[in-house]
Amino acid sequence: MYAYNQFDQTLVDQRVDQYRDQTRRYLAGEIPEDEFRVLRLMNGLYIQRLAPMLRVAIPYGLMKSEQLRTLSQISRTYDKGYGHFTTRQNMQFNWPTLESVPDILADLAKVQMHAIQTSGACIRNTTTDPFAGVSADEIEDTRPWCELIRQWSTLHPEFAYLPRKFKIAVSGSSSDRAASQVHDIGLHLYRNAAGEMGFEVLVGGGLGRTPVIGKTVREFLEPQELLSYLDAVLRVYNLNGRRDNKYKARIKILVNALGIDAFAEMVEAEWQLTKGKELRLPKAEIERVKGFFKAPDYLSTKYAALTESDLANAFIEHPQFATWYRQNTRDHKQSGYRIVIVGLKNQLQAPGDVSHQQMDGIAALADEFSFAELRSTHDQNLVLADVAQRDLVALWLKLQDLDMARANVGTLTDMINCPGLDFCSLANAETLILSRQINETFDDMDYQYELGEIQLKISGCINACGHHHVGHIGILGVEKGGKQVYQFSLGGSASNDASLGKILGRSIDQDQVVVVLGQILDVYVEQRETDESFLQLVRRVGFAPFKERVYGTHKRSAA
Amino acid sequence: MALIKDQQLSLSHAVTPDVRFADWLNNSPTQGDSVLTNGEDDLPSLLASANKLSMIAIEFGTFADGRGFSMARMLRRDGYQGEIRAVGDVAMDRIDFMQRVGFNAFELRDDQDAAQALTKLGEVSVHFQPSADGKGPAYMS
Repeated sequence: MYAYNQFDQTLVDQRVDQYRDQTRRYLAGEIPEDEFRVLRLMNGLYIQRLAPMLRVAIPYGLMKSEQLRTLSQISRTYDKGYGHFTTRQNMQFNWPTLESVPDILADLAKVQMHAIQTSGACIRNTTTDPFAGVSADEIEDTRPWCELIRQWSTLHPEFAYLPRKFKIAVSGSSSDRAASQVHDIGLHLYRNAAGEMGFEVLVGGGLGRTPVIGKTVREFLEPQELLSYLDAVLRVYNLNGRRDNKYKARIKILVNALGIDAFAEMVEAEWQLTKGKELRLPKAEIERVKGFFKAPDYLSTKYAALTESDLANAFIEHPQFATWYRQNTRDHKQSGYRIVIVGLKNQLQAPGDVSHQQMDGIAALADEFSFAELRSTHDQNLVLADVAQRDLVALWLKLQDLDMARANVGTLTDMINCPGLDFCSLANAETLILSRQINETFDDMDYQYELGEIQLKISGCINACGHHHVGHIGILGVEKGGKQVYQFSLGGSASNDASLGKILGRSIDQDQVVVVLGQILDVYVEQRETDESFLQLVRRVGFAPFKERVYGTHKRSAA
Repeated sequence: MALIKDQQLSLSHAVTPDVRFADWLNNSPTQGDSVLTNGEDDLPSLLASANKLSMIAIEFGTFADGRGFSMARMLRRDGYQGEIRAVGDVAMDRIDFMQRVGFNAFELRDDQDAAQALTKLGEVSVHFQPSADGKGPAYMS
């Protein structure tokens, strides 16, 4: 993965000093509250309901094991011994003190990490496919491009005070695992009819109060002009995005107001002035950055692979290993290797939460089995991307010791969940209680396997950090008359077939959420055709049978 | 209020203009004038007439209004060589970014310490982007 040079290191070190001075001046009363708020947010520091929350950047979800160890150490030293992985592949600490943040940033800088632009009205961490560089269906590795975007967007002087936050996601496979259609900019690396590599550029996607699927603003962008084109989009947005109402300030509102064609014309006009000039990426620079993402020294297939009979024997010896292999590992483009998804969705911890012991443990496993690197995913899990098949049983046994071998990836309980009212000052309703209830109620793994792939996404408020709009089943917590109630939506997707879920009906009381979820699943099980997924069924039969089941028998509990 | 110009504390300098760009444009503009503008003005008109102006003061009504950053960047890109002065809600924590996009003068908010503010210019000394000061990413040098 990318390694800092002196240039990068100088930047983060000086940034730590800068933030330390800002914190000092704030505590001395020299910076007004509202102004410091913006400065601290640009360094990832929120003030939550109970304590500050610090969000650490994990650029495009890629980490070295030593970086995860540092996160573990930070959670022990400055927090309560755990961290939380977010849907944007970052890590949040829920209990640091404001005064300790400069020291945390200094610790991070020692392992080439930072919290720059993890919040605020600026360009946020660029996210991508957690299987970049290894998946069997990859067209082109997205990581070098993410790194080039990371560098260009870091401490960008012109785009630090945008109308609102700005998120970029990059996908380079036939399957979109980066939710690129619901980002401010989605980039799709692909080969055109002439065989040239380039980007399709989507703009104006997003969730929140006004969920929108991104629209294509440019069908093919020459890679060397990536930064000049992003620069043009950002400049048009910075000058024209609404600043009078923060709920209307995202680029999606501007794009919808102008229409995609008029917006594209404005970008094109601006781009004509800049393309081919200083932001054009030299080929040598692209190659330099690509050089950091070369394939590791894989063992030859002979040494890495398990023969089919060895694998069959392992499955017989460890039936649970067979299940885990099926659910939690994926095809690798290198023969003899598997991608392993390390779930952060056991029954005991909140989705995405990870203890310091688990962080140290998984870092050691990355060292032992996956070239000392790991990734965080959009759906709040971790990935060991390069595991030789012959090591899988040993890895699985060790993951069990860490309580990280639950074979539920892609199932109902592999849910996305924002922290909700337990932590967040924006939330209207608790969400963690729902994940606990769902885990208690649907604890039969065979039932979950029987259901197949279901993406359940839960948000505690309309800001939609839990991406409920794009869940096959979405649950949104709202407050009505002082009571926490929950709105179900069905039919959303953040994949290639991206769609926004539609609201099923009236909100449901907290103690009825698992009942209603069970009813929805019953309708699916009863009505599905062979091999039909939940999402396919919703698209085929529509909402009527679900409404009938939920509201026909549950009128009294609906709020 | 203190003014930093060309990386120094300025003790004698032109006063900040109070003629708004739109009014100036409508009232027989003269070569060498100075105007006050902000993100609400018509930017193409400003760019088209900038060569007549000796100073363009860009007003930040609130520090969160980042339009002025793009305005300065575009003025310099077009070759404007006069003074671009940041006025309004201008504090030491933003003047480095302002300088990088092309401002060369900063009328600091009343609560700001000018000597301390000077130390903020270049506080982060390496940059990942090309900017109006000619510095840029390592691969450009």
